[in-house]
Amino acid sequence: MASEAIAHESEHHAPPPQVDADVIARELIATTTGASGRFKAWAWILGILSIAGIVSLIVKFTDVGDDSTKWGYVAAMVSFLLSVAGAAPMIAMAPVMAKANWVRPITRLASIFSFAGVATLIMLIPLVAILPPLVTEGARRRTIWYMAPDYSPHFWTTLGLVLLLFTGLMLFYSAALPDFASMRDHSTGWRQRLGKRLARGWVGTDVQWRTLRKRIGMFGTFYFLILVFVNFLISTDFGQSMVPGWRDAIFPMYHTISGFQAGVAGVVIALYFSRRFMKLEKYVHLDAFWSLGRLLFALTLLWVYFFYSSFIVFWYGRSENDIATLNHQIKGPMLPVFLVGVILIWFVPWWMLIWNRVRRGTSAMVVGSFIILIGLLLDRIRIFVPAWSVPGDQIHQKWLEVTPEVYWPNIFDILIIAGGISLVALIVMLMTRVIPVLSVWQVQEFNLLAKPIKYVRGHATLVAKPD
Amino acid sequence: MSTQSILGLFHQAEPAADAMDGLKEAGFKLGTFDVLTGTPYPEGAFGEHVPQHRLFRFPAFGAIIGFTLSVFLTAVTQLAYPMVTGGKPILSVFAMLIIMYEMTMLSGVIATVVGIVFESRLPNMKPGIYDTRITEGWIGVVVTFDDDSKVADAESVLNKAGAVEIKHA
Repeated sequence: MASEAIAHESEHHAPPPQVDADVIARELIATTTGASGRFKAWAWILGILSIAGIVSLIVKFTDVGDDSTKWGYVAAMVSFLLSVAGAAPMIAMAPVMAKANWVRPITRLASIFSFAGVATLIMLIPLVAILPPLVTEGARRRTIWYMAPDYSPHFWTTLGLVLLLFTGLMLFYSAALPDFASMRDHSTGWRQRLGKRLARGWVGTDVQWRTLRKRIGMFGTFYFLILVFVNFLISTDFGQSMVPGWRDAIFPMYHTISGFQAGVAGVVIALYFSRRFMKLEKYVHLDAFWSLGRLLFALTLLWVYFFYSSFIVFWYGRSENDIATLNHQIKGPMLPVFLVGVILIWFVPWWMLIWNRVRRGTSAMVVGSFIILIGLLLDRIRIFVPAWSVPGDQIHQKWLEVTPEVYWPNIFDILIIAGGISLVALIVMLMTRVIPVLSVWQVQEFNLLAKPIKYVRGHATLVAKPD
Repeated sequence: MSTQSILGLFHQAEPAADAMDGLKEAGFKLGTFDVLTGTPYPEGAFGEHVPQHRLFRFPAFGAIIGFTLSVFLTAVTQLAYPMVTGGKPILSVFAMLIIMYEMTMLSGVIATVVGIVFESRLPNMKPGIYDTRITEGWIGVVVTFDDDSKVADAESVLNKAGAVEIKHA
């Protein structure tokens, strides 16, 4: 067993107070009951918006289900929701594999986002029905599905997203088993019955703990491999392949990296509200925000790296194809959206998160995270709306000869966007009523492995890192 | 003679580890006693028996099956409908890679789920003796017997180590 002593200079990573295991179990299980009036009001508002969004999606499908040029905002939402809800569970995985102790209390919150994959799937259904086949009137458009049957992207992308959702749920469930046992032992009513049913006879034997660690590792690895793959499919099948002549090998990775940035931002926002309104300061320490802030800052810088790497190829290339793609994606009618997006997804967060004082706090961190998510939404709109605006009869051209008109959102598009975002927020909120928002056993493990000690004349936390 | 078990409950990890050592010294076979905890202690913290697991075999086996099936599916499809595209060979690996990757993942995940059902001993229909205080941080040492004559020996070991309470089932 290795150990490390982290010296403390200021409050943001002061030694966390030790809490008894029975207090942790009792207090965290109690967070699932007794929702406040404000919580219920927000749940109702988000629920109504979610239903309005789904109804709008159905109305839009029956109304313009045969015109792909009107579906850019739905495609942007699929990409946006995949980015936020798909990437957030990676926070539950990647730092744990690196034996980071700060992340233990927040892995549950991150993995709850797996359920929000349902919202992405709902948005994808009409889009798959509208996505043009590979071959139209004998002409095959340029896609990654070279020589494949006509409806390959439709089938394999849907399967990929379902697989991502399933793996995310298994990752969540694997890590939640001991907490279902805690609910069985200490909760009441339907939560106790649910805990008993889902705990599957968990008693905490050595074999059960060993296999729990292994399966979290395995599902986490699978989740990462599938997430990158689904980002690749969505960004190419629902983005690049809709625009004749847009060939960019960096774009799928750009899509994935900006998704990770959004995932971290989403977790920061959820963590901020859980900590504040569920009174979890005792368990969610400032150290978690400090560490997430560094991660968010690094990903914000990576965004500009990937964007520039992609942009410079087209800018230097200057072939008719390159110029058409740049006009379509950046310099054309979407220029204002692009500029505002860049400012919000990169420039403002960069100059916010660069300051240690911001990353040590919670309020500025949550503001920065909201700004990033708004920027990401605009970024996805400037990519996918023009991509889907290309008329069907131009999709097989060598390159885009005429930049299509911008399709501005109507009331249904606005309701779909609001509904999609609301559905993700609602799912995360409702899940906090079902299972403790912080993992009971991981908070107990955090306390087990981290002890405050006196270090020379200061104080430090001694963190055990079992191999 | 019916199998029965007893559970010694401890407040702290140290006496529970002493009880595990005591049971070994008293001649109880490995696998007849185990430790129950509400949080994962580092492996070997109680000097417990480390069983071999085969969990990694399941995803590996599933991935191989999925990969093989995908190669078969894509190859047979292309051979059954031979179309030369862009002057490339009929059996072009790059065109098959996406489906091969996705099917490998799909089978790997499904096999992992199956493996977990076997290796985690879940669902545990007969959890046996248990105490809800274990999820509050208490530590349980459970001993299972085929022979009633050893119950007193086990109780003695647990009491000597400092068990707060001993439950019978």
